Amino acid sequence: MDLQTNEAGEIRSGMEKMRRAFEIYPYCTLALNHLANHYFFTGQHFVVEQLSETALSSSSHGLLKSQSYYNLARSYHSKGDFETAGRYYMASVKEVNKPQDFVLPFVGLGQIQLKFGDFKRSLASFEKVLEVHPENCESLKAIGNIYANLGENDKAIETFKKVTRIDPKDHQAFVELGELLVESDWAAAMEYLKTACTLLRKAGEKIPVELLNGIGLLYFEKAEFELAEQSFKEALGDGIWVSIMDGTAGSSIANWSVQYRDQSFFHQLEENVSLELPCDKVTTLFNYARLLEELHDTVKASLLYRLIIFKYPDYIDAYLRLGSIAKEKNNIQLSIELIGDALKINSKYPNALSMLGSLELQSDETWLTAKEHFRDAKDATDGKDPYSWLQLGNWNYFAANRPEKKAPKFEATHREKAKELFLNVLKQNHGNMFAANGLGILHAEKAQWDIAKELFTQVHEAASGSIFVQVPDVWINLAHIYFAQGLFQQAVKMYQNCARKFFYNTDATTLLYLSRTHYEAEQWQDCRKSLLRAIHLAPSNYLLRFNVGVSMQKFSASTLQKTKRTVDEVRATVSELQNAIRVFSLLSVASTYHSHGFDERKIETHVEYCRHLLDAAKVHRDAAEQAEKQTKQKLEVTRQIALADEARRRAEEQRKFQLERRKQEDELKQVMQQEQHFERVKEQWKTSNNTPGKRKDRSRHEDEDGDSGKKRRKGGKRRKDQKTKMQYEDDEEDQYRNEPEEDDYANMSRDPGGDRPEKAPDHLLAAAGLEDSDAEDETGHPQSVIERKRRAWSESDDEEPVQRSVQPTSPGPNDLSE
Amino acid sequence: MKLAGLKSVDGAHEDSIWAAAWVPAADHRPTALLLTGSIDETVRAWQPDDLAAASPPAGGHALGVISLAAHPAGVIAAAVSIDSHVRVFDVDSGASVATLDAAPSEVWGVQFHPKGVALAAAGGGSGSVKLWDTEKWQPIASLPVPRPEGARADKTGSGKFVLSVAWSPDGKLLACGSMDGTIAVYDAVRMKFLHHLEGHHMPVRSMVFSPVDPHVLLTGCDDSHIHIYDAKEKGLIGAMSGHASWVLSIDVSPDGMTVATGSSDRTVRLWDINARASVQTMSNHSDQVWAVVASRPPGGEGVRAGRLASASDDKSISLYDYS
Repeated sequence: MDLQTNEAGEIRSGMEKMRRAFEIYPYCTLALNHLANHYFFTGQHFVVEQLSETALSSSSHGLLKSQSYYNLARSYHSKGDFETAGRYYMASVKEVNKPQDFVLPFVGLGQIQLKFGDFKRSLASFEKVLEVHPENCESLKAIGNIYANLGENDKAIETFKKVTRIDPKDHQAFVELGELLVESDWAAAMEYLKTACTLLRKAGEKIPVELLNGIGLLYFEKAEFELAEQSFKEALGDGIWVSIMDGTAGSSIANWSVQYRDQSFFHQLEENVSLELPCDKVTTLFNYARLLEELHDTVKASLLYRLIIFKYPDYIDAYLRLGSIAKEKNNIQLSIELIGDALKINSKYPNALSMLGSLELQSDETWLTAKEHFRDAKDATDGKDPYSWLQLGNWNYFAANRPEKKAPKFEATHREKAKELFLNVLKQNHGNMFAANGLGILHAEKAQWDIAKELFTQVHEAASGSIFVQVPDVWINLAHIYFAQGLFQQAVKMYQNCARKFFYNTDATTLLYLSRTHYEAEQWQDCRKSLLRAIHLAPSNYLLRFNVGVSMQKFSASTLQKTKRTVDEVRATVSELQNAIRVFSLLSVASTYHSHGFDERKIETHVEYCRHLLDAAKVHRDAAEQAEKQTKQKLEVTRQIALADEARRRAEEQRKFQLERRKQEDELKQVMQQEQHFERVKEQWKTSNNTPGKRKDRSRHEDEDGDSGKKRRKGGKRRKDQKTKMQYEDDEEDQYRNEPEEDDYANMSRDPGGDRPEKAPDHLLAAAGLEDSDAEDETGHPQSVIERKRRAWSESDDEEPVQRSVQPTSPGPNDLSE
Repeated sequence: MKLAGLKSVDGAHEDSIWAAAWVPAADHRPTALLLTGSIDETVRAWQPDDLAAASPPAGGHALGVISLAAHPAGVIAAAVSIDSHVRVFDVDSGASVATLDAAPSEVWGVQFHPKGVALAAAGGGSGSVKLWDTEKWQPIASLPVPRPEGARADKTGSGKFVLSVAWSPDGKLLACGSMDGTIAVYDAVRMKFLHHLEGHHMPVRSMVFSPVDPHVLLTGCDDSHIHIYDAKEKGLIGAMSGHASWVLSIDVSPDGMTVATGSSDRTVRLWDINARASVQTMSNHSDQVWAVVASRPPGGEGVRAGRLASASDDKSISLYDYS
């Protein structure tokens, strides 16, 4: 039939024929259907409906009726009347016995069902279509979408993969695949999205903003910031943001960039340039701003956020990001105002409520109301958001440690409540690191080290493997546990790694923990150095100054108690004590205009003790120096004696040698003489005695004896020398050992309150050093809780805009459970 | 403008280096010198071209050197240590000239008046700037930082801890920065407080006036931003961001066009003031960069303009040429 061909001319002639047929017999269903079909494509829905209804009433043939229903349904479908369309599709389907006969209404029906969210039935309809056309890509894609909606990602992926096998040019399928894989398989997702991009580029089509945005986010997630930036820039194309980025948007931009809530700049700018921001680009612009934040270019990021707010005043997340930036800059007032703006738009926005709560928790005046906001946030999410539960848990923990709630009863209740909340989060999200960390803290506070350690270790491991979730607190907490168990070396390592990894070594509190560990390990010099670093970072923290004084005092005291010290050590002690006294006295005077929380008398005691130690140390130093001098002199004397001895010995040897030689010569002479004599005797031919020779021999022997005796004596003398020297050394040592006691004693008796400074400071010292550090310990936890909150907060902010980024508060079951 | 690394000395000190200053050339010494101060309680001097040690280390800076400043005449310098003493010494001989003390207050950053007539020191917890004359080393003035209007009274007393000072190149303005981000500007001639500069809410550890525009003050802050203020007109005229952590040190090139900053993020960055943008990042240090100092050409024929030195917690110092 001519109508089946798509040539315009043919259609027209076909139509003519049909119309003729219609005129001949107006109730021929076939003709009516074809006409209706035609008018559908020409968009004349009213005619379609009339014709189809006529066709319906004139026929009882199932298939024809089905076609008429289908035409009607299609007509309503395209007009947007989905319910009626659905009914007619149903009617049409009912008239079809086998889908093979007429498959089109199934497609329509499936679409309508999909529209109404009836995934199961829709799936059935499309499956019917597939029975007829197993390689129909549209239906397959529909099925894929249904699976995705039903949460059956594997099946969805399988389906879309089939589509790409059938039609490797279907970019839609690639996009879908990419998006399905975003969470599970970064590389594959990237691959698919890129393929879609390439396909679109080849086809010469414009790449949709969302696709580029998606690619950008994927790069963002992998911390490939440059590539992410490229994608976002490509997605955004040209616009006002370009001139904002390169700083050409007007020189006044920088002047104004600090007044976060002032939008007058954009008004001014709008007079000259058009500030267009198409709504499909807002999300990308927002993500780009997030990226800039990540790249630490907050000045530009906040400009973009404000542009978004200027054009879309209801874009609530932009307010929250600005609030977060203000908070990072410690501009709490502004941050609260910006969150207020956000809450004006939506008073139940959970992120805004959570942020507000976190801010309030930091202030002494408002921490109580923070709970209300956390609770509101929880209610706003129907309790489904683990983050709000976490925050409530943290709040309870925080409350337990507040001084005004320090009553044991309250404390226990709050702890119990916190525990319950954390456990609740863990029940919902098995791998929630923050909840596990919180639970660990609670166990740690009850000194259940093993359980706490186990929890912290697990979180630590899980967090180490993730780029996006950063839990510095767990490093600190684990270090605390090591510390509590006396594993100082591990604790030190943990604190150091944490400070370096997360805080660029700028965290004075971590240094304080470190110094406390060194203190307990009696590594005074390391302790002192850590504290000095901390003072350098936080010069107004007087606690650190006090501690550094204590550490120097401790160092000195321990050096003085050592049995063996070098003069240098004693000298160092003296100067350290002078430093300690200076530090304490400065603190003591400073307390007249600062309330840094130290009891003046306590400082005085320290000063007194240090003075007393210093006096002792000075005596020691003088003694040591004296001793050193003596030793040097003695050594010199000994050396000279030795030298003299040596000389003497040499001379002796020389003499001996010469003596010997002379003797030998003599002997030789004698022998010669004897020989001569013997010769003579022989010559004399007479018997005679040889006694003179014998006597000579004996005398020679005697001589040798005498020599060796001399030698021995000399040796003995030298040994004696050595002995005296050693004795001297011994004496010296005894002196050293005795002296301090004597001295201390003397000093103590001299000082009426001497007993106190001697013992009390030691006690105090423990009190000062340890109690203080304990206090720190306790405040340290909530602080880390706040820290954690801050982390969690900034991370959770990511959740909304960067939806595809890992949700940090619910890192997925694979993180911890395994 | 671009930086090119000339030379680095690892282990220049036994431990972290916290301060650095260029001593201009003097009549008796044709070249400038670089001074560095460390937690190892010494100050060391280095030759400007090859960073060869110029003299043996000078000790006695108890508890670590936190700030160094050189007198413009190039003869003496001042070093501040955590024990809150300012030790003024002869650069070449190392001999002590004076030991200053603002007890009971701490002393933090120090700077000499551009003409060398006075020494200004950030007075720490006293919430004031202390001034000494450089002839007899007598205290001249103590300029308190008034509480900004409407600011809450802080209970801890840690708010007004004055950290840093800067003189304008004409000597007419004096500015100080503190722990809570407050910046106070004084009329340095009449010794009078003028106003606060707002915008920072975290410690301002370093600041410097532009050498070409005596009103322009550049500040580095723990909020990792660099602010550009008109110190006379009380206005914030620019902000630059890019450092990942605290900005610890800031200096400006002699032509006033380029700013160099050192940060806790272990980098040294170069910024174009007009474009308000970062133009270069040097990552040769492996720990916090506590000091960046640009050499000043006036009076120093022996020194080429455009030398920059940086010192870091990693115990090393680096020298760069910029062109």
